[in-house]
Amino acid sequence: MAAVVHSFESLAAVDGAGVRCAVFLCGCPLRCVYCHNPDTWQPTAGRETDAPTLVAKIARYKPYFGVKGGVTFSGGEPLLQAGFIAETVPLLQREGIGYIIDTSGHVPLDDTVKYVLAHAQAVLLDLKFPDDEMYRTYTGAGIGPTLAMLDYLAEIGRDTCVRTVIVPGINDSEAMLDRYLAHLTGRACVSRYELLAFHTMGFHKYEQLGMANPLADVPPLDAARKVQLQAYADRQLRLA
Amino acid sequence: MDICHRGFIDGAWTREINVADFIRRNYTPYTGDASFLRGTTKRTDSVRARVEELLIAENEKGGVLDVDTERVSSLLAYEPGYIKKGEDIILGLQTDQPLKRAVNPFAGYRNAEQACKAYGYEMSQRIHDEFRYRTTHNTGVFRVYTETMRKARHAGVLTGLPDAYARGRIIGDYRRIALYGMQHLIAERKQDKRRIGERDMNEETIMLLEDIEKQLEFMAQLVTMAAEYGCDISRPAENAREAVQWLYFGYLGAIKEQNGAANSIGRISTFLDIYLERDLAEGTLDEISAQELIDDLVLKMRLVRHLRTPEYNNLFAGDPVWVTCSIAGMTEDGRPMVTKTCYRFLQTLYNLGPSAEPNITVLWSQGLPEPFKRFCAKVSIDTDSIQYENDDVMRPDYGDDYAIACCVSAMKTGKQMQFFGARCNLAKVLLMALNGGRDELYGEQIAPAGETFPAGEPLEYEAVLEAFKTYASWMAKLYVNTMNVIHYMHDRYAYERLMMSLHDVEPERLMAFGISGFSVLADSLSAIKYAKVTPIKDDRGLITDFITEGEFPKYGNDDDRVDEIARWIAEFFYAELCKTKPYRGAKHTLSILTITSNVVYGSKTGATPDGRKKGEPFAPGANPMHGRDMEGALASLNSVAKIDYGCCRDGISNTMSLTPDALGTDEQDRIDKLVAVLDGYFAQHAHHLNVNVLNRQKLIDAMNNPALYPSLTIRVSGYAVNFNKLTRDKQLEVISRTFHEKM
Repeated sequence: MAAVVHSFESLAAVDGAGVRCAVFLCGCPLRCVYCHNPDTWQPTAGRETDAPTLVAKIARYKPYFGVKGGVTFSGGEPLLQAGFIAETVPLLQREGIGYIIDTSGHVPLDDTVKYVLAHAQAVLLDLKFPDDEMYRTYTGAGIGPTLAMLDYLAEIGRDTCVRTVIVPGINDSEAMLDRYLAHLTGRACVSRYELLAFHTMGFHKYEQLGMANPLADVPPLDAARKVQLQAYADRQLRLA
Repeated sequence: MDICHRGFIDGAWTREINVADFIRRNYTPYTGDASFLRGTTKRTDSVRARVEELLIAENEKGGVLDVDTERVSSLLAYEPGYIKKGEDIILGLQTDQPLKRAVNPFAGYRNAEQACKAYGYEMSQRIHDEFRYRTTHNTGVFRVYTETMRKARHAGVLTGLPDAYARGRIIGDYRRIALYGMQHLIAERKQDKRRIGERDMNEETIMLLEDIEKQLEFMAQLVTMAAEYGCDISRPAENAREAVQWLYFGYLGAIKEQNGAANSIGRISTFLDIYLERDLAEGTLDEISAQELIDDLVLKMRLVRHLRTPEYNNLFAGDPVWVTCSIAGMTEDGRPMVTKTCYRFLQTLYNLGPSAEPNITVLWSQGLPEPFKRFCAKVSIDTDSIQYENDDVMRPDYGDDYAIACCVSAMKTGKQMQFFGARCNLAKVLLMALNGGRDELYGEQIAPAGETFPAGEPLEYEAVLEAFKTYASWMAKLYVNTMNVIHYMHDRYAYERLMMSLHDVEPERLMAFGISGFSVLADSLSAIKYAKVTPIKDDRGLITDFITEGEFPKYGNDDDRVDEIARWIAEFFYAELCKTKPYRGAKHTLSILTITSNVVYGSKTGATPDGRKKGEPFAPGANPMHGRDMEGALASLNSVAKIDYGCCRDGISNTMSLTPDALGTDEQDRIDKLVAVLDGYFAQHAHHLNVNVLNRQKLIDAMNNPALYPSLTIRVSGYAVNFNKLTRDKQLEVISRTFHEKM
């Protein structure tokens, strides 16, 4: 089976623990207003690769990985190509390389997806908005699939880092964070809740693609404010 | 046992001059972390404050504070100088005042004269008269240069040659002075002379005997120089302060005599640590005073200056002197050579602030203690001031007592010396091959005439490769022969008397060649092979531009198709160099290192098939071309790691800039990851890495508001510079380099 790879980043140091490569797979079911990679939305906007070729490429970076590192499948929505990832799993295992899935959870929770999640080192799960209405407004789809995946991850006890992009004027308040945090309490698989600052570095992509940028007038999130909100979230999560 | 060597374990070093043996038997490895380190003393702060004042004054005066135009630099030319008399612990300055530069015309009179003029000084009549009838190195070289050598030099194919300035890159084993004392070293050298005098008096023997006599003369002068500072270096050092001082006097004498591009201090930290440990054990020293000693030595290293011409500064930007100081590494039997004093040298970057000098070089090994690796990574992230070189690839060739000269040149301390050879612009050789031996800018016939490739027809790879091989082979021979002329004359007219007196009497000689335009050539050949490249000719019939159509693999993306070409370039050129015999029995070595001259070399090179426009800068050293490494930092490192150190034993320089965000989320994470990156790169037998962790925006801001960033230091190509000391074109080039950012 071939996958459509949008791009490859050999040092994606912040998408999970340890030194990691990132594979950005094409296609995404969501249309988040703050997306900084709209160029990954189209399922065909990349290069076709088969599993052995991709794993051979990733394996070239083994000297850097150590015990914590490995590869992160990101996107787009990588689980749209879960069948392909499932093919890489035994090949990666043979090479002793762990992988992380960076997902929005917006895929049917079928056996293939479950297999891929169950063998991951960890999962980065985007919880984009705290309720169904906001979810639909800003991403074009409902909250259901994300929460279902979170339930599944809790059930199999897979290490999960939940992530949320904080956009000024939309969700940058402590009150909003409380609503997000409510979904995390009681789910022991969640080892971390990480806030990501909305930034404008992807704006040029909208221009290049000739697409309207719905947040063109929104400023990036202030770095100090992000630190403040992260500290709040950390505190609340510990309390809960 | 005499008092100076009390407590030391005997060995071969007691019977012969053998510092390496002394170190192996006596050093105390340290595997702990950095928590023992201490800050500055009030005295250090006071001396440092004076140094800061001087640096500001120097900067305000356009980069040169003062020049002594009355005297020619030598060991005894100036009265003793001090930063703050009574407060200096380690004594000695190049002239009688800190930052006052000396005139040193031995390598080239005109050069020295122009350097004075450039800063508003006039060489005195006295010096002028003194050199009127004296042959300098530069005069000697130009007496012999052939027309072809001159043409190649003028066109910038052979470039940066040390034919008008001193060659440098020689490291005296200054530790010998501390361990043995000058009296013993002088007696040994006299013994050498008697022994060698028994041989047949052929040219080689006569030359060597004359060299030895020159050495003896300067050894005696060094003793006198130290005596003027009230120190008796005829005997060995008795304690740590004396060991640091004795060693520094040796280095100081060397740089009073020589103004070579790079005069490095060697591998001294673990040696000095033995003395510091002994004093600590005897209770005559505590950690604060141990650190103070190293801080004071490093302050002196930061004040080393030579008088340069603007043309020279263009090649080697930022007024560097390469007081390269190599730390850590492993012994041949697998023990880490990390000591507390390796840490203390790194600590100076906190105690005294970030700085380009000394050029602290960590000899990295997979076997170094983890806490030390982590401290190095922290220092890199905080200061951008240190570089890394792979001990695991150097040790098999150079043993465990080599040191780095300049940026990446390894040599066995006191046992090997180097004939520095700048570099050959191989991107230009390709253009020359396409133009039948003519220079693509001037149109001059430099190499033997061959066929010019036709315009309007796509280049055929095999044909281009054959032509390139023919011309590169011709160029290699010219290059070795040009170097032979240069170094014969340097030995004759600007011989390093003091530095060579601190070597074995018959050291091994390395002749160090270099490549520039490395990645441009690799990508150009790749473009010809994998895309369609059509040459365009101007009205002189010269190929001056190309139409490049289609995709081609680019060096820096871990793509074997082009990385194999890159690897081949180094192997091929080295093999070609080896076909011509170097002067004085030297061994060929090769580096891929450009310092900051990648900008100048680019400006002297026409458009290339890879799409680079005429005059655009090259990438530095072995770096992939800016902006062409599309798959991130590790892919770029993997490409460079493929170049074989076996054919580049003078070093393969690579500079990497990462933004802090790309490296990790917080300090501990960044440290973890930088250590993993270094381990992973060097595990693949890569040779060298400069690491910068900073934002492009910070550099742009520093360019526009230099006063806000007085000590912003960045690694460029084998050395570090104060960013403010770069000219604007070089600042812009550094800013244009690839920064690996968070996606």
